[in-house]
Amino acid sequence: MSADPFLSDPFAAPRAIGGRAPDVMKAGGWLPMKQHDNNEEVDFVVIGTGAGGGPLIARLAEQGFSVIGFDAGAYFRPLEDFASDEIEQQKLYWLDERIIDGANPIRMGGKNSGKAVGGSTVHFAMVSLRFRPEWFKSHSLLGYGADWPLDWREMWDYYARAEKALSISGPVRYPWGPKRPRYPYRAHELNGAAEILARGAEAMGYQWTATPLATVSAPHGDSPPCVYRGFCRFGCSTNAKQSQLVTFIPRGIAAGAEIRDLAMVGRIETGPDGRATGVHYHREGRWRFQKARNVIVAGYAIETPRLLLASANDRYPDGLANSSGLVGKNLMTQSNQAVFGVMDKEVRWNKGPPSLSITEHWNYEDRKDFHGGYCWMAQGPLPVEWATIVAGSRKRWGAPLREEMMRYNHQVGLKMVGEMLPDERNRVTLTDEVDQYGLRIPRITYSWGDNDKALIQHALGEMERSLDLVGAKDIFRQEDDTNHLAGTARMGSDARSSVVNADCRSWDIPNLWICDGSIFPTMGGVNPSLTITAISLRTADRIKALAKRGEL
Amino acid sequence: MKNDRPTGDIATALSLVTGATILGGIVLACRKPHVPVKKPQATVAAARRLNRAAGTLAASVLIDSAIEHYRGNFHNKAMITPLVTASLSLAASLHGTADSKGEAHVIRDLIYAGAGLTGLVGTGFHIFNISKKPGGLSWQNLFYSAPLGAPAAISLSGMLGFLSERLRDSHPDMPPKILGIPAGRVIGVMTSLGLMGTVAESGLLHFRGAYHNPAMYLPVTMPPVAAALLGASALGPIRRHGRLTRWWLRATALLGFAGTGFHAVGVARGMGGWRNWRQNLVDGPPIPAPPSFTGLAMAGLAALALLEDHPDD
Amino acid sequence: MTDRYPGYDVLAKRRTPSWNEPTRQVVNRRLAVPREPRYLTPPLFTVLDAVCQRILPQPTDRPPVPLAALVDDKLFTGLQDGFRYARMPDQGEAWRRGLAGLEEAAEAHYRLCFVKLSGEQQDDILRRMERGELSGGALGDMPATLFFEHRLILDIVTVYYAHPTAWSEMGYGGPASPRGYVRMGLDRRDPWEAAEAHDGDETKARLENGFVG
Ligand SMILES: Cc1cc2nc3c(=O)[nH]c(=O)nc-3n(C[C@H](O)[C@H](O)[C@H](O)COP(=O)(O)OP(=O)(O)OC[C@H]3O[C@@H](n4cnc5c(N)ncnc54)[C@H](O)[C@@H]3O)c2cc1C
Ligand code: SF4
Repeated sequence: MSADPFLSDPFAAPRAIGGRAPDVMKAGGWLPMKQHDNNEEVDFVVIGTGAGGGPLIARLAEQGFSVIGFDAGAYFRPLEDFASDEIEQQKLYWLDERIIDGANPIRMGGKNSGKAVGGSTVHFAMVSLRFRPEWFKSHSLLGYGADWPLDWREMWDYYARAEKALSISGPVRYPWGPKRPRYPYRAHELNGAAEILARGAEAMGYQWTATPLATVSAPHGDSPPCVYRGFCRFGCSTNAKQSQLVTFIPRGIAAGAEIRDLAMVGRIETGPDGRATGVHYHREGRWRFQKARNVIVAGYAIETPRLLLASANDRYPDGLANSSGLVGKNLMTQSNQAVFGVMDKEVRWNKGPPSLSITEHWNYEDRKDFHGGYCWMAQGPLPVEWATIVAGSRKRWGAPLREEMMRYNHQVGLKMVGEMLPDERNRVTLTDEVDQYGLRIPRITYSWGDNDKALIQHALGEMERSLDLVGAKDIFRQEDDTNHLAGTARMGSDARSSVVNADCRSWDIPNLWICDGSIFPTMGGVNPSLTITAISLRTADRIKALAKRGEL
Repeated sequence: MKNDRPTGDIATALSLVTGATILGGIVLACRKPHVPVKKPQATVAAARRLNRAAGTLAASVLIDSAIEHYRGNFHNKAMITPLVTASLSLAASLHGTADSKGEAHVIRDLIYAGAGLTGLVGTGFHIFNISKKPGGLSWQNLFYSAPLGAPAAISLSGMLGFLSERLRDSHPDMPPKILGIPAGRVIGVMTSLGLMGTVAESGLLHFRGAYHNPAMYLPVTMPPVAAALLGASALGPIRRHGRLTRWWLRATALLGFAGTGFHAVGVARGMGGWRNWRQNLVDGPPIPAPPSFTGLAMAGLAALALLEDHPDD
Repeated sequence: MTDRYPGYDVLAKRRTPSWNEPTRQVVNRRLAVPREPRYLTPPLFTVLDAVCQRILPQPTDRPPVPLAALVDDKLFTGLQDGFRYARMPDQGEAWRRGLAGLEEAAEAHYRLCFVKLSGEQQDDILRRMERGELSGGALGDMPATLFFEHRLILDIVTVYYAHPTAWSEMGYGGPASPRGYVRMGLDRRDPWEAAEAHDGDETKARLENGFVG
């Protein structure tokens, strides 16, 4: 890929091999890494190294278990591998073909799924929010969706731990929800786009705050502070971003975990007793089998059900952990519509992380005629994304498109993250087409419900009013965007209506666990990764407790 | 959204006034007849030490405000003012440090008074700037908007210089007094207050940096002790903690320089290190800021010497 | 179209701390993209070229962007989007069918091949496709609107706005690592960002843009 002999190609061959793994903090650097033989029955195999897999890999290794983390993606060293470029950096995304359909097909790729050691957190926008406590019991308390088998007070503790581990930079006082401990780092300076959000919120009488972000505002370890380059969604070549790649993964390796990059797991094997025995994975050109005492799936809401369904065998003809028939069902995404406008002032919204300010007003306000909540955040799309928004939402091409693009530095926008309700018809199934590994590719079916539409319309109206109040001109709506995924292997309190229990352990196969965004019974109105990380940390503690009692 | 900014004009007017005052002073000074007076050596020495302290502070302010206002792109013409006043204060202080005459100098006096005034006006501007930001007087704005405490540093420089002139002006045959109070006590108390103000400023900014390095606690622990010791000496019996106070002030003076070193390391740690100096000098820890502690500690030492030379209890 | 950022050239920053080595290599490769088709047949490539000129007419005072070559390069290297509408064929097939469909429509409506049409006539054909009025023939069962919006527009717009010429004309700061940005507020510009010409001060902006390194 690169002509510089100093730089190697992360895709040419696995990097985590031969007793060492890349040191992500140094160009060309290495760390010693423990390795296991395929025939050695390791305690845990973790499939996926993102927000769900990463913390488990680290915590389980720190507790003394033998752990291997598999990821289909490459093992990047951001300093040497990341360009400041929207196209080149698509190498961070899951770009393998997936079929989308339904009334509102979800556009995949960069909008919602990563493929890299570190998972989607390598390119996520770092917004690190807590659920509103009531959402863990939204069915009984708010009258919609499903209840989680988790208690918010316990989650509050794990959120705090996640925030500490990810050195979240957040405001001194967070305006909504129960008290939380101080964020480890102070919030970042607002950019122009974030200031517009703040002024708009104040004009409406809503609270706003600097957004808690997983990028440091002061040095941390080998991470320099954020330089406000604004390419966060295309990988942080500064290493200021506290992705799994620079936090839990190195921690795991230091504690004795092994990472296998460019290793696609195609099938989970079960033995005569019905328990999982290991995984078939494709690496360095051929299929291999790794033995394991426990298998944890953390491939996110498309790949997790895909793998469980594809692992169907005589004993489990509908796929693994699927006695409820719910694997792949209740897929959720978040409404990610936006309103844009033009300011007289220069905003230059590409400077800094895109979402430096936020209002969660409508997550904590229940006087509305639809279920669920939403927040909105400041925006800063880079040219290619912005052009596709203008072309798509305003149907512009030719000279009008170029003309409109010239206003880039004056553009502002507000983008929502809204809760969509679970619906069994929104789902992941397998097609008969196969991918480069010979594995059946998934079909993703999605349609918005009436409640989803009502929520979106409400949000668009509110965001539009806000932009109007700060004097933005030529305001328009981006009506069709969605972002983030969840569901497809929901957790619950009984085997008939859920796939895993509160400990992320599957009801059907006691040594098969699922711990990633798939286990969400409801989506909530905030970005999901901090909740995924908190649950992952909790699961690690639960596994330790169960092991102690001999219940693994 | 309102975006008119009348402040620019007000500020320009103010800086013009300040400039005119200074100019007038120069003219006045040239006309003043020179009458040599004999002063006790110790008092003049203390005055010169105060000049040096004022100069150290002025130098710190000069470079710091140059960098900070460069970041602000001097979008408001008044942002040049602290650079001018700090330069003048620095020049006056150099002059004063070299001057062993036992009387005040009108130009120095005027410059110092101007510096004191600039700081006050600057604080006003910075408060105004913060009040316009969404969130008003919030942590976010205290961290990132115009720093509230920064202009006070130029006031402190002016104040120290002004006190130095008062020292030179004091009656030759009596222990030096300012406004009828023993000079050492006045200077001691003012310096002690100045130290606490500077502690608050660095405390705020180090809080913004999340005290990510334990050394960041030093400027919020050492100088307060120095301020307390100095304050106790200035307000109460002098001899009790004399030695301790002196050593503590000396250590605080050193801390100011060490801080510059720490901050330089911090800049190197920014992404791209010194090669990216145009970003890191501005976004990184402020290299010229810590020596303001040195300046104040020097003033404290001068006050202590005065107190010990002229015990009044 | 007036030049909003006179004299601004994002490539002038190439050797500054705003660009790291991987970025220089990526952009170099992009600038050096082979101008001949490697995926599409030459006839389809000429249609693509004509389409590109309508979708993104280029500035005359900046280096031209080889749009068709860049789209062809995407198809040749097989860079995918990560999803495919159930009613759409894969991207290469979609482009082949779509371009052939445009050619057919040009013949049908104007009895000329697409490249021979006037700009307005080409726009007319493109609008018919956008409105979903073309169907069958070479398009097969591919919905015309879906192809137009999610393939044709998306691919062309993407390669244009990934090109330094586009960055320069819109005053975008461009690559930014290791050096990012310092001045974050409204109406603030870092010295290495494009200066915008406001009414009557074009000279000032041009001067400042001479120093953006
Ligand atoms: C552009 C973008 C911006 C985002 N911004 C935010 C944000 O600001 N805040 C927030 O909270 N969330 C954000 N998210 C969402 C967040 O990144 C995800 O919710 C989160 O990372 C999901 O965690 P996960 O562990 O479930 O999956 P991932 O982090 O996606 O990790 C899954 C990993 O598993 C690997 N994998 C999958 N299947 C296999 C297999 N069969 N074999 C081997 N490896 C496999 C994949 O390669 C991938 O690396 C964003 C997402 C995107 C795409
Ligand atoms: S803005 Fe900050 S977090 Fe985002 S890519 Fe740049 S340095 Fe990383």
